[in-house]
Amino acid sequence: MATASVYKGAGFDFSNEVRNTFLSERGIPLPKATSTGTTIVGCLFKDGIILGADTRATEGPIVADKNCEKIHFITDNIRCCGAGTAADTEFTTALISSNMELHALSTGRKPRVVTAMTMLKQMLFRLVPQPTHYHRPPSSIAPFPYRYQGHIGAALVLGGVDATGPQLFTIHPHGSTDKLPYVTMGSGSLAAMAVFEAKWQPNMEVRIPHAHPLPTYAHSPPPPPQRAEALDLVCAAISAGIFNDLGSGSNVDACVITASHTEMLRNLVKPNERVQKERSYQFRRGTTAIKKESIRSLIVDEDVTSITGEAMDIS
Amino acid sequence: MDSLRIVPARDDKSATTQDTSNSFGLHDTLQYGPRSLATEVRKNGAVKDRLENWEATQDNLKLQMQRQLFGLHMPMRILMERKLVSQNSHMPVLSQSNLHLDILMGRDEMLECPDFMMPASELRQPSDIHADMEKKLRM
Repeated sequence: MATASVYKGAGFDFSNEVRNTFLSERGIPLPKATSTGTTIVGCLFKDGIILGADTRATEGPIVADKNCEKIHFITDNIRCCGAGTAADTEFTTALISSNMELHALSTGRKPRVVTAMTMLKQMLFRLVPQPTHYHRPPSSIAPFPYRYQGHIGAALVLGGVDATGPQLFTIHPHGSTDKLPYVTMGSGSLAAMAVFEAKWQPNMEVRIPHAHPLPTYAHSPPPPPQRAEALDLVCAAISAGIFNDLGSGSNVDACVITASHTEMLRNLVKPNERVQKERSYQFRRGTTAIKKESIRSLIVDEDVTSITGEAMDIS
Repeated sequence: MDSLRIVPARDDKSATTQDTSNSFGLHDTLQYGPRSLATEVRKNGAVKDRLENWEATQDNLKLQMQRQLFGLHMPMRILMERKLVSQNSHMPVLSQSNLHLDILMGRDEMLECPDFMMPASELRQPSDIHADMEKKLRM
């Protein structure tokens, strides 16, 4: 008989796999998970990192969440944007956040971005799906989350400022990583990358768009008008994704991370606010005529008995 | 196994009844339903095999490298310590934690999926403690 295993096991339950294989071979597709076919960007500027994301979560062709939050917390100075299956990105980043906290407590040092990146890539590599023998329909036209059919589909942009300086990484769903000064991921990544390629320069300042004044960053000399400011650039990149990609939409979220502190700018720009209806569609009182009115009292018979005994025993 | 694989190999599945056997060594129809050759012989999902063999493969890599560097005694001692520590005289109740084993395996300061995701099979109450103890003591 098998000895007690010292290994913990997979943690996933595969008891339905035979049934699912059987059903999918008969043509019944797996249910589509909520995906964040999305636009996420990260960009290095003079003092740190800016991460940006849109806020739409889709479930096939339907918008499941108009204002979801895609910039996840890893540690105080590290944040991670997630594209792909929404549950997978949230679950993965929450797990890595917990592990980073344990690691920081154990080493006694402030956590580093490369640690989070290594943990993420090792975890995603473990779950890489292998090609199977039976034919799977080609998914070159479908957005990438559908290809994985339940395996973890999470493309992440990880950025933070630690003791070694500002770091920006991308982690692809199979576990490969890149270290770059500006990155975009998701279905709107091409639109956002076009904006970055046109306007990104090293050592940009941060300037707040007029919609959201932040006195912390009001450096006294105003920048020359032809330089693209980092936060404006990130908003422009996300907006390009919002307007040109069906999987991205709603508002722009941003997160500015510097060596001293992190600022989470939720709903920084809202280019898709719902307009107020031009007419009022309420019916005025009296539109429907009252033909008959009868009032019936629900109290048939009322009999009051006063109780003067002892108080209720509530000990 | 003298291999230095990092990732579990994709081997073809062979028919086996050991997963579903009862105390007689035969397929337990009452618990798992009728036997089906199609389900046993057909190759299961690759992710399942990969995940289930992941830790064993990585562990094997480390032990194999230790054997090649230090000699046979090194992995032998490591495995001996693990075996000593996993001897558990308790009854197989639902949740068992072995901190010493976690420390030896290097997972005492990490959270992994199995730590908080419980398959439905483990949520069941132990219906037959005698059978569970029998299974355990025969190991």
